[in-house]
Amino acid sequence: MCGILALLMSNEAAMTRKRVKELSGRLRHRGPDWSGMYQHKGNYLAHERLAIMDPASGDQPLFNEDGTIAVAANGEIYNFKDLFAKLKRKRKPKTQSDCEVISYLYEDYGPSFVNMLDGMFSFVLYDSKKDFWLVARDPIGITPLFVGFGTDGAVWIASELKAIKDECERVAPFPPGHVLTGGNSVAGKLENIPKGTVVLPGGTAPVDLGSAAVDKEASAPFVRWYQPKWLKDHFATPEVFPKEALDLTRLRESFERAVVKRLMTDVPFGVLLSGGLDSSLVASVACRHMDSVFGSGSEIGGFRTDRLHSFCIGLEGSPDLLAARDVAKFLNTQHHELHFTVQEGIDAISDVIYHIETYDVTSIRASTPMFLMSRKIKALGIKMVLSGEGSDEVFGGYLYFHKAPNAEEFHRECCRKIRALHMYDCARANKSTSAWGVEARVPFLDREFLDVAMNLDADEKMCKAERKEGHIEKWCLRKAFDTPEKPYLPDNVLWRQKEQFSDGVGYSWIDGLRDYCEREVSDAELAAAAHRFTHNPPSTKEGYLYRKIFEEHFGTCPGAAHCIPGGPSVACSTPTAALWDAAWLAKGGGGDPSGRAVLDVHVGPGLEKEDGGGGKRAKK
Amino acid sequence: MCGIVAAIRFLSASASRRRQALLAMSKNIRHRGPDWSAMYSTPDNTVFLGHERLALNGITSEGDQPMHVFDADGEPIISWVVNGELYNHKALAEEFGLKLDYTSDSAVVGPLFLAKGFETASLLDGKFAVAIYDHRDGTFYAGRDHMGISPMYIGYGAPGTENENAIFVSSEMKSFNDVEEVDSFEAFPPGHYLVQKADGSKQFEQWYKPRWLVDETYVPDKPADHARLRDKLHAAVEKRFMAEVPFGVLLSGGLDSSLVSSVACRVAASRNMPPLKSFVIGIKGAPDLDAAREVADFLGTDHYEFYFTAQEALDALRDVVYHIESWEQCRASVPMFLLSRRIAALGIKMVLSGEGSDEALGGYLYFHEAPSAEEFHRECVRKTSRLHLWDVNRANKATMAWGIEARVPFLDQVFLDEMMNIDPNEKTIDLSEKPDGVHPKLEKYVLRKAFDTPENPYLPESVLWRQKEQFSDGVGYDWVDSLRAYAEDEVTDEQFAARAERFPGDPPETKEYYLLRSIFEEEFAKKVKSASATVPRGRSIACSTPEALAWKEEWMNSAGDISGRAVNVHASSDGFGMDDRAMDDLTVFANGNGAGASASQKKSVAAASALPEATQQQRRQRRQQAPRTPPTARRGAPKPRAAMNGAGRVASRHLRTSTIRLH
Repeated sequence: MCGILALLMSNEAAMTRKRVKELSGRLRHRGPDWSGMYQHKGNYLAHERLAIMDPASGDQPLFNEDGTIAVAANGEIYNFKDLFAKLKRKRKPKTQSDCEVISYLYEDYGPSFVNMLDGMFSFVLYDSKKDFWLVARDPIGITPLFVGFGTDGAVWIASELKAIKDECERVAPFPPGHVLTGGNSVAGKLENIPKGTVVLPGGTAPVDLGSAAVDKEASAPFVRWYQPKWLKDHFATPEVFPKEALDLTRLRESFERAVVKRLMTDVPFGVLLSGGLDSSLVASVACRHMDSVFGSGSEIGGFRTDRLHSFCIGLEGSPDLLAARDVAKFLNTQHHELHFTVQEGIDAISDVIYHIETYDVTSIRASTPMFLMSRKIKALGIKMVLSGEGSDEVFGGYLYFHKAPNAEEFHRECCRKIRALHMYDCARANKSTSAWGVEARVPFLDREFLDVAMNLDADEKMCKAERKEGHIEKWCLRKAFDTPEKPYLPDNVLWRQKEQFSDGVGYSWIDGLRDYCEREVSDAELAAAAHRFTHNPPSTKEGYLYRKIFEEHFGTCPGAAHCIPGGPSVACSTPTAALWDAAWLAKGGGGDPSGRAVLDVHVGPGLEKEDGGGGKRAKK
Repeated sequence: MCGIVAAIRFLSASASRRRQALLAMSKNIRHRGPDWSAMYSTPDNTVFLGHERLALNGITSEGDQPMHVFDADGEPIISWVVNGELYNHKALAEEFGLKLDYTSDSAVVGPLFLAKGFETASLLDGKFAVAIYDHRDGTFYAGRDHMGISPMYIGYGAPGTENENAIFVSSEMKSFNDVEEVDSFEAFPPGHYLVQKADGSKQFEQWYKPRWLVDETYVPDKPADHARLRDKLHAAVEKRFMAEVPFGVLLSGGLDSSLVSSVACRVAASRNMPPLKSFVIGIKGAPDLDAAREVADFLGTDHYEFYFTAQEALDALRDVVYHIESWEQCRASVPMFLLSRRIAALGIKMVLSGEGSDEALGGYLYFHEAPSAEEFHRECVRKTSRLHLWDVNRANKATMAWGIEARVPFLDQVFLDEMMNIDPNEKTIDLSEKPDGVHPKLEKYVLRKAFDTPENPYLPESVLWRQKEQFSDGVGYDWVDSLRAYAEDEVTDEQFAARAERFPGDPPETKEYYLLRSIFEEEFAKKVKSASATVPRGRSIACSTPEALAWKEEWMNSAGDISGRAVNVHASSDGFGMDDRAMDDLTVFANGNGAGASASQKKSVAAASALPEATQQQRRQRRQQAPRTPPTARRGAPKPRAAMNGAGRVASRHLRTSTIRLH
């Protein structure tokens, strides 16, 4: 991952370059390897680079052949070689960087080229001849991106909010799967701009962005470029539901391709392995393809590729550590078990909130171990990891999905969850690793894989008691990898029910956090929470403390608190799904969002209770 | 290397606030120890030991600090944190029969303290900053290595408050920026230890007391033993191979870095290690790059050449001032800072570097003017004993800014003793003399001679016997020119005219210094008084100590006129060796820009022209040989490089400054 910062259409004040440089420095954790900056008139593109592809060169910003188009990009374009082949005019690559192709594509295809990209990315392209700029973000928002508007009409773009928080009168998450274009040139002269694009006139503020607006279709001036069938159907009136029959082989192969694609690297890498289904599948598939991708006995940066490095963190003796150890043993990975203490976790909380840029309780609980683990991973010399995020959203893997009333509602909730991923698990996975210059890649959110998995009839994803494997979430995914003749995973892992990350790292982690927050926040403070925090007021002491720390870091930034979604949730559900069972809200809705509410809710026969919220989980 | 912080007898505010203060201190030096952090506190939250770890010996929790010696009940007796490398940890454990609970070299400290008490610092061989708390009687003990290779600062609570006995320790003073309870602070003196008793009484003791350092009347008379010098440098380099992570050498192509590289290559070969990685940086086309490549080719290292642009260097200026915590030596620090980032990006965590030989052997060109061998020796002692304020400070912090540890074999205690006990008559410079009948008695003659083994050469003859090159050779003006032009833009004439009011007592003499000091004061605004006091002051000629100004009357009389001063030095010392302060004038001189130059400058041009013809010819050749087109990267198949910001690439000699001249 890298960090990008752009200031577009600013007044060219003398101090600006220095200021942009300074602000870009706030993203340096994302790109510890080099800094670069491009300026043309009042447009600045700054880049902090983490070198994954072509570490010896490939500094950014990158340019087209004559240097008139600059690109600052964060992410990976997995199909860059194909894209080079698709250029209308051949170019000799100046670097080995996967992002170099962006400016050429723009030259050959115009702004609609964005839809040709396969990967996770956010970038700013500036065309100095036309004085035109284009900002784009990947389909799901795996890479973070924020947009802000200065009082002078300038547009700020940054990988993380912290870079622009002091410059803008309004900030918002840049909507995933969208582009934003603009410039001081006349809109009518521009060709090839996707239909519906609103070109911002220079120096005037664009339309107001409410935090709710950003996830709506075509929320001007943003244009949605990512419009797969499943999403179009989801937005259609009336909504259309997928009906494709389950093809286990296709599902499996599609996922395998997604993993293999992500083995594109020039630096040492590994896999995050919690021992749960998703991370274990990623690890298993990666292991199978190491030799075919890298050639047997090869080396990257002094690391042999014959054994995959896997990483797991937990309090000593935690369930994840044990589960991951089993899987690592089965897969014969080079496994690294990392431990942390509750005190170390608590000491890191303020840093975690600063890095993840959230006050969402579940995110912070789960991010902290990941944040600590990433530091150790980096210490070992690993710069990239594969991770299992996204599967629970795509397949409805959270335990509350057991309560989905029907396939339509199930599918709808999956869509809602996927669209919100950029504010939750994607933000967590990306920022807690990027805090230490480690890049996380998430094969479950592969574009092609999503097309397969999201066009599936949701009936196949439903948790049903009548199947021979029993009443279990993510059945179709498990079934696709249930190949006993050459097993991907041990049976007990493949068919084990879900544990939640923040709990699997050790039961006393959440207890410890909550105890700490109890000590730090008084009853009187909590009672006045709604006065102090008018938007999304916290309802627990834990939430209060996180919010207070968030305000310390971002309090002066108008709109920062609105970048984090709120509303009632049950065990990770969206507010809408929280209505699936009236008992949930009656029990504890608005309280502990990560699971206290389901503590006493039986989500299904024989299930472990998820995220016991301080209580000990029922063990099978 | 790592970063350490500590607070002892920290009483004010709430326990939670105190912990937050220590976490903030620790976080401010996280660049030193990117790999892990830990904060220990006593149950009453009044004593804290914190550690930011750079793991050079694996990432297992084995080496995590703070470390403790526990009693039978599992309660800690001794707790400690160390930043540094203790090369003799195994020998110590054996000698004193110490039982170590951890395999890391840092593990020896606590048991050693239990066994030997306050002697601890004096028994350690390596570089270190150590803080030890003795739970039994509340004694606090801190110590710093002989040369101050590991940085350490010590802060104090406000007198008359509940924190009046509070002591704060950190590897870098930026830790104190955000802690209001630190009332004042200072650099911890190298070669000393501090003891603070439970009642608050405290005392510094000097433990590093070799005769050459403490006996002012001592002038060594030992003849140089070349074989021994060679062996001791070998030993010093070999000691520094203690690491489980990939490492490399900083190679500028000058004498010192080339020698370290050469010796390191031999050690590596003897251990069947793969070829060492060597690193150099310069503005593209700089002769420095060529010099390093020549040595790298000769040694067969896995050589990496990196480039920077003047704009990139300017952009890094503020970061560099912040990191090295000084307004001195910024010109030389910037390339080293940029290079370190490149090295870190490659996954390298440790490098060997050539600092120290110029001080111990009198390698700076103003040493040509030493009035006597005795005075030559005294200046070597002065320079060496102040290294922690200059090159050692820069080398440590410019690299640690990116989590790279620099090890400096020339400052090995044993090797240093070797160098400092040589009869200074062997160190003095006299180009007309040829002690071996072949080579003129150049600066650092003894070192060159020690490694002059033609049957199995350490270095090409041309490198081993090359004179120091002038900083501004070739087309390397970009960086310094840009910096100066930038300072001209940033600092108005009005501001500069009022410099004595802005910086009372010690006003900067150029706009560049004005700018750097302004940045420094901004970065350390909350503690500017204590912070400024840690930066060395006093006038200098081409890197000399203020005391050496007495060597020449015109130096003494040149108060306030840095230009004239420096140019005169330049001329009289054969055109070599300038410090940052002298560079302004050199540019004028070397550009041949006589128009508008002062009489003294013209004189210097004339004087330079009077150099021996051979020398002039040699220089002309060098200039002609300096490539005008950028060399292609020579590692493996050349990869195309992206244009950086579209800026042009020009040559420079800047790294020479950092790796040869200033060492």
